[in-house]
Amino acid sequence: MAIDKPPQLVKDYWPQYRRRSLFFVVCMQIIATLVIVIALMLAEVVEPTNSIFWIIMTAIGATAVGINILVFSVLTEPLQMLSHALAHAAGESTITTPPNPNTRRYEKSGFKPLLQTIYELGGSQPNAPSESHTKGDLAFETILGTSSTGIVFLKEGNVIYANKSAPIHTDKDGSLQLDIITDVDQTIDEWIAECDEHAVNATKTWRRVANKLVGEDERKIYDMTASYQKGSEVEVVLALVERTDEYLPEDNDLDFISFAAHELRGPITVIRGYLDTLGDELSDRFANDEQELFNRLVVSANRLSSYVNNILNAAKYDRRHLTVHLHEESMGIMYDAIKDDMQLRAIAQNRLLAVSLPSDLPTVAADRSAIGEVMGNLIDNAIKYSNDGGSVSVSAQVVQNSVEVSVADQGIGMPSNVVSNLFHKFYRSHRSRETVAGTGIGLYICKAIVESHGGTISVKSVEGEGSTFSFTLPIYATVAEKLKAGDNTTEGLIRHHDGWIKNHGSMRG
Amino acid sequence: MAIKTILCIEDDRFIGEMYVRSLKKAGYEVDWMVDGNDGLIAARNKSYDVILLDVMLPERRGTEILEALRGGKKDLIPNSKVVILTNFDQNDESRLALQHNAQAYLIKAEITPKKLLSLIKQLDSDDS
Repeated sequence: MAIDKPPQLVKDYWPQYRRRSLFFVVCMQIIATLVIVIALMLAEVVEPTNSIFWIIMTAIGATAVGINILVFSVLTEPLQMLSHALAHAAGESTITTPPNPNTRRYEKSGFKPLLQTIYELGGSQPNAPSESHTKGDLAFETILGTSSTGIVFLKEGNVIYANKSAPIHTDKDGSLQLDIITDVDQTIDEWIAECDEHAVNATKTWRRVANKLVGEDERKIYDMTASYQKGSEVEVVLALVERTDEYLPEDNDLDFISFAAHELRGPITVIRGYLDTLGDELSDRFANDEQELFNRLVVSANRLSSYVNNILNAAKYDRRHLTVHLHEESMGIMYDAIKDDMQLRAIAQNRLLAVSLPSDLPTVAADRSAIGEVMGNLIDNAIKYSNDGGSVSVSAQVVQNSVEVSVADQGIGMPSNVVSNLFHKFYRSHRSRETVAGTGIGLYICKAIVESHGGTISVKSVEGEGSTFSFTLPIYATVAEKLKAGDNTTEGLIRHHDGWIKNHGSMRG
Repeated sequence: MAIKTILCIEDDRFIGEMYVRSLKKAGYEVDWMVDGNDGLIAARNKSYDVILLDVMLPERRGTEILEALRGGKKDLIPNSKVVILTNFDQNDESRLALQHNAQAYLIKAEITPKKLLSLIKQLDSDDS
């Protein structure tokens, strides 16, 4: 038998120990059998030429070896299980499944607490490098451990390795959990599920993902790249580059602006209020282009108010304080609430706004105020990004269990590489930076609101020909039961488009 | 009961004047108080049909005024309708807390005097 090198890893100990012990057991049994044979022959109990004697002795020897191996296996089973559990707790990759402490046999024999203790000890120090690493492992640990890029290995959705720079925490069961909020875009789990179905190799990058919500302590913001390799020992590798210094100032600015926005609303109230009042009182006295100029004042004041709402909503959404209250609503009635404002905006910029919402559309589950803001943002964008004299059309149709609303323009359109970033916070395409004023949060908040309704938002665009933004809302009848069962409706509460008003169904419309 | 008397508790002079001007023009009797204490005293001394209540007020906040008037066992303003008008976007929790004691909660920046008048007419017709 070849001499084994001393074990380097915890998992290597057991096979080596077992091999040596079995060798020892078998040798001892053979020696014992030989001693008996010699003793019997010396005592002249049997003749050496008697073939039956040799057959019997060989059978006894073989049976004894078998029994001893069996006894050895039974007696050393706890040692074997403890070795497996230790290898698992040390974070070594093993082909064996770690023993389950909840097996009834272990519960009965009292072995369960031993396994549990090992797992608990292992779980409390998930990143402690094991002293019994090979040189390769040590080099690997050193490179990854000191890297400022967070590295996480995932297998079947579980974190199997994370270096010190990775945003992870250990939960109560001792398993590692990734602290990354990816729900603004596709979540990691959704992406992995998609890869499992359709891909062998895939990579995806998430920009501006954070470990905590805005306003929470120790918030860090990362750009994260995930690589997927089907069937590999490490299925998904995540690389997280911390960009907090770059991204946080913008988030803090938004936070500050949201406080300031409340102050802005005071003057806006007066401006909009008097424009509304004076529009009526002065309408007979306007001459020449005064009415048109006055309309521009109204449009600008209304836009200012919408921008303030966008900023406040985005700041609320980042803190997950944005809630929508879903009720049965008709698309037509929801549009009516913003109709005058939108028509005025279109006229003031010399665009034709054509709205055709079929009267037989089913009702949808929606928050009227929030959907008013979504439609307002999409129509306002279409007006801004279309050409002088161009038309903007709003239409709606039933698509499966949803109503899909589309806002189409024949404007400047976008190249396809811009489209995928459109709904990201603060994103502004190169061209829009040059030609149209904006903050880059309008579409971000539209997506947040639509998705809070259980809908989706998408865009089709051809550069130079125009863009069509579409969003879906669930048909009320398809979700009515769920809404009644959940807390999405607030008793006796109907959101008015500017807030809410209690128990006044007639306020609708 | 037709709405006739209105108490406006609003500390911003421009906003207060704007609402009072339109309400008076529409034929309502309007009293206007600029701080929370005066507002509470006025609401206790006279029975108004509608109280327009700002939240961020000097001396006493709108929430405290509402609590003082309706938070106890006895509703001290049983014949009044309360409309909260604020520009401060509260979280849902405090908004829902206000809801218990008010008939409406509106964002001032979205409510022009014309819309306010139609809302008051609405409150009136809901009652009759």
